[in-house]
Amino acid sequence: MTALLQIHDLTVQVANKSLLSNINLELNQGDYLCVLGPNGAGKSTLLKTVMGIIKPATGTITVNQHSLSQLNQKQWSCMVSYVPQTHGQKLNFLVKEFIQMGRYPYHTTFSNWLPEDQQALERAIEITQTDIFLDRHMQTLSGGEAQRVMIAAALCQKTPLLLLDEPTSFLDPHHQVEVHQLIQQLNRQHDISIIEVSHDLNHASQHSKQILALKYGKTLWHGPSSDLLQESHLRDLYDQDFVFTTHPQTGAVIALPSEQL
Amino acid sequence: MKAANTLLIIFIVTIIIVLLSPNLGLINTANPEIQHHILTQLRIPRVLFAFLAGSGLAICGMVFQAMFHNPLATPFTLGVASGASLGAAFYVYLGFSFSFLGIDGTTFAAFTGALIAISFVYGISRFRSGFSLETLLLTGVAISFFFSSLILFIQYLSNVSDSFRILRWLMGGLSIVGYRDIFQLLPFVSVCIAVILWLSRELNLLMAGDDIALSRGVAVQPIRYLLFFVTSLCVGAIVALCGPIGFIGMMVPHICRLLIGSDHRWLIPATILFGGGFLILCDTIARLIIAPAEIPVGVITTLLGGPFFLWLLIKFKAS
Repeated sequence: MTALLQIHDLTVQVANKSLLSNINLELNQGDYLCVLGPNGAGKSTLLKTVMGIIKPATGTITVNQHSLSQLNQKQWSCMVSYVPQTHGQKLNFLVKEFIQMGRYPYHTTFSNWLPEDQQALERAIEITQTDIFLDRHMQTLSGGEAQRVMIAAALCQKTPLLLLDEPTSFLDPHHQVEVHQLIQQLNRQHDISIIEVSHDLNHASQHSKQILALKYGKTLWHGPSSDLLQESHLRDLYDQDFVFTTHPQTGAVIALPSEQL
Repeated sequence: MKAANTLLIIFIVTIIIVLLSPNLGLINTANPEIQHHILTQLRIPRVLFAFLAGSGLAICGMVFQAMFHNPLATPFTLGVASGASLGAAFYVYLGFSFSFLGIDGTTFAAFTGALIAISFVYGISRFRSGFSLETLLLTGVAISFFFSSLILFIQYLSNVSDSFRILRWLMGGLSIVGYRDIFQLLPFVSVCIAVILWLSRELNLLMAGDDIALSRGVAVQPIRYLLFFVTSLCVGAIVALCGPIGFIGMMVPHICRLLIGSDHRWLIPATILFGGGFLILCDTIARLIIAPAEIPVGVITTLLGGPFFLWLLIKFKAS
C-alpha cells in the first residue's frame, strides 16, 4: 500500500530564515500523528505548508500520489482540510453559513447545491453535534462550541487528511476532553487521517498513533506514540527534566515537568 | 427570509429617493419648456450619475473591508483615492488631451495613480514578513499625505485657472450636464460590480481570514490582485469624473452589514442600492441647503464621514 501523505526532503524558508529543513514523513490512511516540539520549532509551519498556505523552498508533498505543486488550491482542498489556531468566535458568520462554506472547493460560481453537498453538510453537523446552534451567530458561541464548528467546516470538505493546529489550546479541561474525543472518533470511526499539533504530551502519547518531534525546524525524533514518554526523548525535546507516574484510573504512564532545576 | 425583506426595503427606499430627488427644488418658472429641460438635461442625468458613483464607491469600500477584515480599510483610507486624484491632477497640469474608445484621458491617469498607490501600500505592508493591519492603515495614511502634498505642489506650479479647476474638483462634485459623463462611468462601474458579484463566495471566505480561505481552496493572491485591479479601475473612473468623494465606501458597507449581515450574496446588492441612494441623498442636500447656490457633495459626505470614522474607531477599541 502506498502512503496517503508523503513528504520528501521538505525545506521551508521565509525571508532567508530556515523554518523547516529536510523533513521526511509518511502517513498511511487511518494514521493519527501528533506533532510536538518547543515554541518556534516549526510545527504550525509544517501544517501550513502541507495545507498549501506556505510555499516550500524545496522538497515535495504528495497526497494520494498527487503532488502539491501540480494541483491548484481548489483541487488540493478536496484532499486536505485544516483547522487553524483561530478563535472561531471572532468570525462574523452564522454557524450554518460557515460550515456550508466547507463545500467551496467542489463548486464554481454558478454551480448548484447538490445532494452530495447536502449529505456532506449533514454528516459534518451530525458528527460534531453542531445541530443545536446552527442558526446562531459564531460570535455568540463558547470556545468549545466554536471549535466544534471549525472542525465541522473542515469535515464538510470531506478530505481523507485533516490538519489540526492546537485544537484544544484555549479550551477549559471539560471542552478539551470533548474535542479530544471528537478527534478520536473522526480517526477511528470515520477513518480520517489526522495530523495534530499539540503541546499536551500525555494526550499525544495516549491517543495518537505516531509522534513527530520537531526542534529548530528539524526532525528530532519520529516513532510510535508508545515510545514517547521516555526521559531522554523529552529532555532532548524540551530541555527540561520530566518525572513519570501512572494515571490512577487508566494506569497509563503520565509525564510531568520536574520541579527540580 | 430576513435578509430578503431587508433588501426589499432598501430597494424601495432607494427607488423613492431616485424618483423624488430630481423634482426637489425645481424653480417655478412659467416656462414649462425650461422646466422640462432642467429636469431631463440636468436633474435626471445627475441623479443617475450620482447613483452610479455612489454604488461604485460603496462596493469598492465593501471589497476592501472584506479583504482586510477591517471596516476602516477602504480605498480612501488606504490612499487609492489620493493616488487617483494625483494622477488626474497631473494630467490636468500637463495639459494633455486624449481619449481612447471614447474614454477620457483623465480616467486613465486616475486609474494609473490608483493602481500605483495600492501597489505601494500593499507592497510595503508585505515588505516585512507577516501582515499587520496597523502597518497597512498607517502606510495608507502616509501615502495619502504624500500624494496630497504632491497635488498641492502641482497646484502651485499651475496657472490660476488650472489651479482653481483642480481645487474645485478635489472638493468632489456631481454637477454634470447631459448624459455623456454617465457613459464615461457606466462601463467601469459595471465591470467592477460584475467581477465582485462573480467573486461573492470568495469574498465570504476572505472575510474569515487568508488561512481559512486558502484551506477551503480559494486562490487568495490572484483573487486579491484581480480585486485590486477592478476596484482601482472603478475608483479611478469615479475620481476622474467627480473628484474624491470621501467616506461613502466606509459608511455604506458598514451600515449595510449591520442591516443585512455579512453574507456577500445579500450584502453586494444591498451595498449597491444603498450606496447609490445615499449619494443621491447627499447630493440633493448639497444642492438645496444654500439654494440657489450649491456646495460640493464631497463636503457633505466628509462632514458625515469624519464623525462616523471616530465612532467606528471608538467602537472597535471598546470591543
